[in-house]
Amino acid sequence: MADLLDSMLDLLRRLPPTQIEENVSLLVNLVPTYADDLLGSIDQPLKARVDTATGREYLACDYNRDGESYRSPWSNEYDPPLDDGTAPSPKLRKLEITMNEAFDLYRDMYYEGGLSSVYLWDLDDGGFAGVVLLKKTVTPASVAGPKGSWDSIHVFEVAERGRQAHYKLTSTVMLQLVRRKEVGGDNGSGVAEGWKHDGETNLSGSMTRQMEMDYPLQEFTAHVPNAGRMVEDMEIKIRNLLQEVYFGKTRDIVFDLRSTEDLEHARRQRELQKELAGFIRRP
Amino acid sequence: MNEQEHIAAVSSFLLQSPPGQINDVLNDVRNIVADDESLQQGIMPALLAYNLAQFIVADIPGTSHTAIVSEAAKAGEEDDRFVDPRSKTSYKFDHIALEASDPQPIELDAESEPFRAALESATLQYLSAHYHEGNASVFATPNTPRRFTIQIVANKYNPANFWSGRWRSQYDIDLVENTVTGLILVNVHYYENGNVQLETKHNGTLALPPTISVDAPSPSATKLLALIKEFEGTCQVSLSDTYHEMGEKSFKALRRALPLTRQKLDWEKVLGYKLGQELAGAKVGGS
Repeated sequence: MADLLDSMLDLLRRLPPTQIEENVSLLVNLVPTYADDLLGSIDQPLKARVDTATGREYLACDYNRDGESYRSPWSNEYDPPLDDGTAPSPKLRKLEITMNEAFDLYRDMYYEGGLSSVYLWDLDDGGFAGVVLLKKTVTPASVAGPKGSWDSIHVFEVAERGRQAHYKLTSTVMLQLVRRKEVGGDNGSGVAEGWKHDGETNLSGSMTRQMEMDYPLQEFTAHVPNAGRMVEDMEIKIRNLLQEVYFGKTRDIVFDLRSTEDLEHARRQRELQKELAGFIRRP
Repeated sequence: MNEQEHIAAVSSFLLQSPPGQINDVLNDVRNIVADDESLQQGIMPALLAYNLAQFIVADIPGTSHTAIVSEAAKAGEEDDRFVDPRSKTSYKFDHIALEASDPQPIELDAESEPFRAALESATLQYLSAHYHEGNASVFATPNTPRRFTIQIVANKYNPANFWSGRWRSQYDIDLVENTVTGLILVNVHYYENGNVQLETKHNGTLALPPTISVDAPSPSATKLLALIKEFEGTCQVSLSDTYHEMGEKSFKALRRALPLTRQKLDWEKVLGYKLGQELAGAKVGGS
């Protein structure tokens, strides 16, 4: 049964990313004993919740969940309230507060909107781990307007080694883009012979990358710039990758299926060239 | 979950399979459900529905061409016999092995056949001009005079490089109402270090010019395919524009490549800056 989780992950890597939530919930119902394993290994779109104490929004995921409750990074409170909910140690909570402030600024600079949340937790071996979450949604002004969302999930593990710290980072970005278009009718808008035409395009998915880094660590608060640089570099890397795959690769595949150019014409052209080349080479 | 709910969940997974990966999906669900016996019977309706909806192609025995397995290709009420008007045969199709067998000669409707044949020949010509590895079938709607269906499917499977793609189009031609409706569905799956999918759907309708008539099969078919070519070309250009717009506008609106300052953050200063901002806020009694 060890490969059951692998089969579930392989399945989710193939099924449409737009249906991830429905499919995860079907799998959880199919194999309830693997629910926690699955929920802990699969990234799903982040949900915004409101901190009842401060009124400020935060992001919810599996890392700030305890049972049915979610912990807010702003007030450190669980909603619905929990008496014995897991929380970082006081020293780590202080770092968590500072990291939330730093990534809030980062969010503002790169996303010009959206939400960010950082959660840290102590590890048994004395180190700690954390997750940096960022989300931005663009909602259309009209039905035909462009729609989109970006969800970043950066999970990292830290081991301090004297005046050095070793970081292991696994990052996933979920990107969804939707566009609807209506063209035509008989208004001579350039559409062939009055074809009335509407189209919808959905380009969605996620990409995951990992990296390991060593940074100097003069003091405990140096984890903030260290993790900050690491996440920033990773997001730049993944953004480039998304650009290449979303707008390059998937588009090339469409044009590989159907050609806008007349292939017969191109074939004839090539044959003619071959013939000419043979003609010239002839002694 | 009871057995019926298991089958419903598994069927839903199968129907969502990306191009060329139904067997991978089937392997995964067999591992997850681990009850081959109940699966084998239970998933047949889903496999059938998938094959018909996805325009799975069959190599027709005794010919060198393929035919599309679809709702329009059904020979009758049975789920496993389909017609290939091009070779004037019907064949049995195995929905698991995806193989055709037992070809039987069939009589095509004499009244619609001249137009259907002309449409088929124009479609095949169009297919080789615009598809790298396309398949097409043209059907006359049974017991309904002057109605025809053109179906096209092109597949590219490249599991070694973690991608696959499928283009489907269907045109329903009605020479009683003089209209054609078109539908294009394109799916692309890219799954190296992730799972990225393109799903695009285009609908079109057109009132046919009076020159298109069953009484003039060949010129009418040529004209129809010219109109289809224009529609497909327009859709592809429109998709290209959408790609450009998504890449240039939507993507940037979600996350900038770099901050307005055109520099990465100075993380050493971030904390001080934030503190300064808060002090300034406190001074003016702001938020």
